[in-house]
Amino acid sequence: MGFPRGRSGGFRGGRGDGGGRGGRGGRGGGGGRFGDRGSAMKVRGGGRGGRGFGGGGGGRGRGGGRGGGMKGGNKVVVEPHRHGGVFIAKGKEDAIVTKNLVPGEAVYNEKRISIQNEDGTKVEYRVWNPFRSKLAAAILGGVDEIYIKPGARVLYLGAASGTTVSHVSDIVGPTGVVYAVEFSHRSGRDLVNMAKKRTNVIPIIEDARHPSKYRMLVGMVDVIFSDVAQPDQARILALNASYFLKAEGHFVISIKANCIDSTQPAEAVFQSEVNKLKQDQFRPSEQVTLEPYERDHACVVGGYRVAKKSKSAS
Amino acid sequence: MPENKPVIGLSWEPKLPNLSSRTHNGSESKSQNQGETSALWRPNSELVDGLFVPPNDPRKLNKFKKKQLKDTAGKGWFDMPAQTITPEIEKDLRLLKLRSAIDPKRHYKKGDSKSKTLPKYFQIGTVVESASDFFTGRLKNKERKGTIAAELLSDRTLADYRKRKVREIEEKNQPGGNEKWKIKGRQSLKRAKQRRH
Repeated sequence: MGFPRGRSGGFRGGRGDGGGRGGRGGRGGGGGRFGDRGSAMKVRGGGRGGRGFGGGGGGRGRGGGRGGGMKGGNKVVVEPHRHGGVFIAKGKEDAIVTKNLVPGEAVYNEKRISIQNEDGTKVEYRVWNPFRSKLAAAILGGVDEIYIKPGARVLYLGAASGTTVSHVSDIVGPTGVVYAVEFSHRSGRDLVNMAKKRTNVIPIIEDARHPSKYRMLVGMVDVIFSDVAQPDQARILALNASYFLKAEGHFVISIKANCIDSTQPAEAVFQSEVNKLKQDQFRPSEQVTLEPYERDHACVVGGYRVAKKSKSAS
Repeated sequence: MPENKPVIGLSWEPKLPNLSSRTHNGSESKSQNQGETSALWRPNSELVDGLFVPPNDPRKLNKFKKKQLKDTAGKGWFDMPAQTITPEIEKDLRLLKLRSAIDPKRHYKKGDSKSKTLPKYFQIGTVVESASDFFTGRLKNKERKGTIAAELLSDRTLADYRKRKVREIEEKNQPGGNEKWKIKGRQSLKRAKQRRH
């Protein structure tokens, strides 16, 4: 799938700190494998050298430079992605998109793709910026399985203003549910406003450290996505999983090395976090670095309370 | 719209008396359209007493059911429909495959530019900019075109490169000749003329 690399990357400087991103390499998620009682976990993308996607173009801000590909009015071809509910828009440039649950509305001023079907119905897709969303960055980083698919029930910890949550709600569609937990009132306000228009999002303005406070709102879920960036995020995830995650459910956690221990190298931090997860009945199966999009971040994916039988089989 | 739902059952049209010439024309054109689009419509010769009877044989019935199902990418992708590929769409898809040749300064991950297979499930759409997008983030009305091919052709910045490449390829593919006999500039032209006299 031809995503453009280098200078003319599809998304330029999403968060404004893109200028300093170029010229680094060779760090990323901890290289190497670690066994989980016989089943080796895949670690992807460790030590990708040089400049990544948008590394050089970051300083110019979005849309700068010589004519980018995705401009309003361009024609693009939308194709299904490997992951359910996710699509790729191919034009001069590629972007990943999700099918808009609320056609005609952009959540954070992202670009949309409107499509007139052969039978006259209209469909709309929203462009998903990997610089603003760790889940999108993980998908572009080539994660094997995100477990968030149409019809899934997802608990989203650390929802912030709801930019990624809106895309997750697009992916799960009208048959799925997203419980979005955010502690900050300020960004929670945006989250609630977004959830007003999306019926499958349930905003919860509570501390994710105390799942007992919102236990009456949340049912059993299939997947927990955690993006809390706290030193005790493994504990937070384990606590929420013990309340809400079904046995043999799955988790996706984004780890920011600086938020856990800024004195240690990133790989060591990821390793220690994964070990913490293993002690709490999680079985991590895959780790990807979010390197061209985020610095010293890793995304770990795995299962929860995986049955013993499948373990002996594998 | 009954013809969208894959229903097995009765499909018949009541024979209404013609109330006026206008309604008669309307109903006639509608039935013609149905004949082209829906799998349910049957010519009168196949109907039994004006009613459609589904086949009795379960295997035939299954075949009939399968035929009625719309071809989509599946539930995981919200039933993205398969498209009918027109010449314009085919050209656009081919262009997308070979897009690495369009701009020398743009680099792509390697795709499947060699294979001839076209995607089956896809949709062609237009990017809609948000109201707060700067002018660099959108095209002017004049620059908006119907197809990807037309967009590329109208791009002035790439025209020079494209022309040069076409010329180079044509030159390379030309049958041989002698370099000495070519007229290069005015001086050589004059000499050629002198030689001819």
